[in-house]
Amino acid sequence: MELQAMYVQILALVIFAIGLIVAVSRRNVFFVLMGVELALNAVNLSFVGFAKTLPAEASIVGQVVPLFSIAVAAAEACVGLAMVILIFRNRESVDADTYSNMKG
Amino acid sequence: MLLHLLVLAPFVAAILMVMTSKDDSKSSSRLAILMGIGFTAMSVALIAQGSVSTEEIEWFRIPGCKGPVYYYLTSHGLASWMVLLSCGLSLVALISARDITCRSYRNFAIGIFALMGAMNGTFLAADAVLFFFFFEAMVIPAAILIAGFGGKDRMKAAMTFAIYTLVGSAPMMVALWYLLTVADNSTLISLAVAVQSLPEGTQNVLLVCFLLAFLVKTPIFPFHGWQAITYAEAPAPLSAILTGAMSKAGVFGFIVWILPIFPLSMNTVSGLMWLGLFTAVYGALMALRATDGKKLLAFSSMGHLGLAVAGVFSLSEAMLPAVLVLLVAHGISAGAQFFLMGIAERMSGTRELEKLGGLSSTNPVFGTLFGFAGVMALAVPGTAGFVGEFSVLLTLWDMGPLPALVAGFTLILSAAYMLRFIQKVIFGKPSRIYNDGRRTTLLEGTSVGIMLLLLLVFGFHPAFVTDSLVEAESKEDPAAAQVLNDAALNNGEAPMTAEEIHQLDSTLAAAGFKDDERASIIAQMKGENGSEAAAKSENSVKEASDAK
Amino acid sequence: MISLGLIPLFPLLGCIILGAIAVISSGSKKGPAEGFVGTLAVLFPALSFGGVALLALNMPEGGIRETLCNWIDIPMFRVDIGFLFDGLSRIMLLFVTGIGSLIALYSIGYMHGDRGFARYFAYINLFLFSMIVLVLSDNLLLTFLGWEGVGLCSYLLIGFWNKDIKNCKAANKAFIVNRVGDIGFLLGMLCLVTIGGSAILNYDVLSNFISMVINGNHVELVIPVLSVAGILFFIGCTGKSAQIPLLTWLPDAMAGPTPVSALIHAATMVTSGVYLLARLGSMFALLPVVLDIIVIVGMLTAFWAAVAGLFQNDIKKVLAYSTISQLGYMFMASGVCAFDASIFHVFTHAFFKAALFLGAGAVIHALAGEQDMRKMGGLLRKTPITACVMIFAFLAIVGFPGFSGFWSKDLILEKIFMSSTMGQAVYVVGLITAVITAVYMGRLIILTFFGSYRGSKESEEHIHEAPAVMLIPMVILAFGAVFAGYLWADSIGIKFFAESLAPVVGAAQAYNAPAVTAHVNPVVFAALGTVAALLGMFIAYKIYANARIPAAKGSSAPEGGKATWTFLFDSIHKYVGIIPVNVLAWICDVVVDKILAATQWTIGAIATILGDGAATFQVRKVRLQIALSILGLVALVAIVLLTGGSF
Repeated sequence: MELQAMYVQILALVIFAIGLIVAVSRRNVFFVLMGVELALNAVNLSFVGFAKTLPAEASIVGQVVPLFSIAVAAAEACVGLAMVILIFRNRESVDADTYSNMKG
Repeated sequence: MLLHLLVLAPFVAAILMVMTSKDDSKSSSRLAILMGIGFTAMSVALIAQGSVSTEEIEWFRIPGCKGPVYYYLTSHGLASWMVLLSCGLSLVALISARDITCRSYRNFAIGIFALMGAMNGTFLAADAVLFFFFFEAMVIPAAILIAGFGGKDRMKAAMTFAIYTLVGSAPMMVALWYLLTVADNSTLISLAVAVQSLPEGTQNVLLVCFLLAFLVKTPIFPFHGWQAITYAEAPAPLSAILTGAMSKAGVFGFIVWILPIFPLSMNTVSGLMWLGLFTAVYGALMALRATDGKKLLAFSSMGHLGLAVAGVFSLSEAMLPAVLVLLVAHGISAGAQFFLMGIAERMSGTRELEKLGGLSSTNPVFGTLFGFAGVMALAVPGTAGFVGEFSVLLTLWDMGPLPALVAGFTLILSAAYMLRFIQKVIFGKPSRIYNDGRRTTLLEGTSVGIMLLLLLVFGFHPAFVTDSLVEAESKEDPAAAQVLNDAALNNGEAPMTAEEIHQLDSTLAAAGFKDDERASIIAQMKGENGSEAAAKSENSVKEASDAK
Repeated sequence: MISLGLIPLFPLLGCIILGAIAVISSGSKKGPAEGFVGTLAVLFPALSFGGVALLALNMPEGGIRETLCNWIDIPMFRVDIGFLFDGLSRIMLLFVTGIGSLIALYSIGYMHGDRGFARYFAYINLFLFSMIVLVLSDNLLLTFLGWEGVGLCSYLLIGFWNKDIKNCKAANKAFIVNRVGDIGFLLGMLCLVTIGGSAILNYDVLSNFISMVINGNHVELVIPVLSVAGILFFIGCTGKSAQIPLLTWLPDAMAGPTPVSALIHAATMVTSGVYLLARLGSMFALLPVVLDIIVIVGMLTAFWAAVAGLFQNDIKKVLAYSTISQLGYMFMASGVCAFDASIFHVFTHAFFKAALFLGAGAVIHALAGEQDMRKMGGLLRKTPITACVMIFAFLAIVGFPGFSGFWSKDLILEKIFMSSTMGQAVYVVGLITAVITAVYMGRLIILTFFGSYRGSKESEEHIHEAPAVMLIPMVILAFGAVFAGYLWADSIGIKFFAESLAPVVGAAQAYNAPAVTAHVNPVVFAALGTVAALLGMFIAYKIYANARIPAAKGSSAPEGGKATWTFLFDSIHKYVGIIPVNVLAWICDVVVDKILAATQWTIGAIATILGDGAATFQVRKVRLQIALSILGLVALVAIVLLTGGSF
């Protein structure tokens, strides 16, 4: 059976929503990071899903973009983790709510 | 090529300085001074070369504008002298900073080179956007240098300076952007054409936006709030550059960008002239009360530049050479005075006038230099300052006796505060012994001495400066010059040349003589010259004026 | 024939060399060798004196003109550096360089042992350079160079001993007061440029212009502008020549070394105002209003300063006020267009006043720096040569028959009497002033040289006659003081001086020929002048010869009503000039600038407050921020979708 493009999008939406909720609701900064990664991957999935709707020659474009964004995501994860570790060293806490030292 | 080098090479030099040793100020200073000498030599070559331009290289396009922005440099008499000021003062700053910023000379030199490149760009840019780019870019290295190397209040000074000047030129950016949507491209001529086609209300708004940027930069009352604290807190070599070269960007902007682009009404012109005069008086009065040596110099600079702006807006025929000489003279003498004040501060550890004193007996060479610099700043005849101030007075006299009288009043005031300054710093009994300070070094003394010597040379032969302008004019109108020359030849031994008679005529007219009276005076004048030659000269004068 | 350019070049070279020596040797303890420096210092002025003498002997009738090079060349304005050597500049140059050389010689003795020996002579040479440029230039702008140059040197030399702040203040005052006058000069030049272009600044062109105006009957046309120019130039002259109202600086200028007072503040610089009036004589001759002002100012100055001279205890201050008073005479003469007489008085005055100052210097030198006349007395026996020099010069200044002052002063008074209707009243004041002159000068001589010594015992033993290097110039000047008058002894028919000046100022004087045609025998004036001198000397003898001189205590400045009179113009300056400027400065500093600072602060504060307000929208928790921003995004998307993208 041909996989409907719509289902892929729904799955991506669900994963994105989970990621977002995790990122917003968890206080542990590692979970926040994981939530962000999840949301990012959901977007990748969405790309691939849409690529399928295109004719075969063009669909390759849609599949290449996730490759890019995976690479970027890897870099982002690196930097993000490094930052989290640095902040953890300074604050000795993984609670995202304690990280605010800006005004307001 | 020279133009590109002068604008871009300083940035390369700054990058080169990054690679030098951070701790060994000796070696990095050698490199910096060598490069500084190179730039100064190049700027002298630029003056010798006369007016040149580079090719128009397309740089980028601003969305919503018709034409592209060019990377387009051009030099003319005024610009090349300003470039000399910026390069020369930077060189002396690099020399004299050796003993002030021992900690991290390298960083200081990086800042100075970046500043120099930005200033050169400002003076040489022929494209409005390029000009604005450099005009803004100047602020950043200067502010960083103040924050890094200044006195006690340096952070406040740097913030005041940066915010004031950036906010001041923000309206200009908006106005420029608006103009670019109307104009074909961002060169001077197309901007001027574009302004002509706009309704008068819009023109005025644009004019105010442009003026604001230059008024703040110069600075002109009431936008001088940043000046005193900045000059006082900045390290002395930087203050010298700020007043000697950077503040000239304001006056330069008036001459090169405001006057050609905007059709000014008579009220605007005289208003601006009076504003300049008021600034001159105000600066002198403030200098009279200043208790801090560098603030005194800051206000004195403000006064002189106010006079220059007043001269610019007299719009007299002699305005350009007059203001140019005044600017060059002020750049050199104010620069020298800031350098010397820096040395005084180093030797006595204070800028307070009450605590200084007696430096001429403890350090006679310094005293001599300081006294000389002070006297030169008084515009004693024979110095470049006199030629500048006298000719500016001459241009102001065109606007009526009152402006000239006010300008004369500021000259008296300038004598009062400058003599007080000299007396407080070098005369009297040494009131304070400060062991940390180092005396004048040979290199410093020589470089300041050369500056003072230049003032004398320009004072006795200002043609060095003014010729760079004349050249351009005679190129424009060779026919008229030819006719005038012929007229002069025809006259032969006559005591008054045709040109002088012509001048007499116009001045008599200005003095309110009626036509027939004037004619009879001149006829009589010619009668003394021998009637035949006179008739010829009259014809040739007519021809000349027709040709014009 | 030597080039005119060489004459100012010599002192300039001297200044540069001596200045270099002064700077180079400033590090060493001992300083440069005085003999060497002194020789150089006298050599250069002497060389230029020699040059002037050579030129003066071979001068053609019309004078020598020489243009060196172009100076300023901008649109509408072109001035050359050119020199003009004619009858007027010949006489001025001769005594400027001559007396300059003599005083340089004298200074070697006077400044002996001073640490700034080389510096002093560098300044003196610079002064001579400026003074020569002043009188030798052929246009007003170059004259102005010399004009400010001498003012600058005067500033440098008054404040020569700059460790004492009092000297510096006197120097500052001299420069600033002179600056006020100089601005008048500057604006006067601009005024002239208005009517004739920059070429008119040249003296030849100016006098051509004037004669053209006279020939064409255009006098009425140019008088308004020329009058303004004339008044402005006259303001310049009052500054430089210490006339009312700009005269307060000259008494203070006595803070400088005494040879400087002799050279600059008596013989040469202060007379440059008179020189300028004579130089522009052709112009001033057209301006009756300005001439009247000049006469009145000169008369008031002469009288006021003579009275002030009576009150002084400081020997140099007496001479300073006497100089002001004599300058008043010269201005009176200029005011009645008797320019040759005024220059003649400049000439004789240079000799006798320089001799008086050098004599006073020798006295001060002998008394180790004491200047208060109340502590002197009886010096005739101890310093006989100095005393003789001063007494000869004294006889010259009071106008004793046969001495130089007699010829020149009587000539001036005569010319004033013969002039306009006002002349006779002015003449009376001039004669009264002559009496007062004799009184205060007699007082000076009596207090200093006669009676018994009033100083302390131990100082009495150190009193000594000046060294030969000081005495020689004094004696030469004393000779001049006696015999200089015979160059124009009207009563005995010698008119050499007047004839040599005639080509320059003759036309101007002819234009304003005396209105009173009635002939009065010159002998009458001579007799009246002699009576005035004798009367004054008699009064001085009666009052001071046997009077008990009150013991000196405190400063030598006059007190009480005498002080009010002496410092009259100082207080006027204070209320008219200094206080208003200070009030203005105070307003700028304390009111305007503070208002601006407050505005600046207010704008800054408003920006800060707005920023703070905006910052409260920020939420502290990061997660909440993200949630809110997502909600915002959703809201935006919803709006776009619901409005169909048209928004």
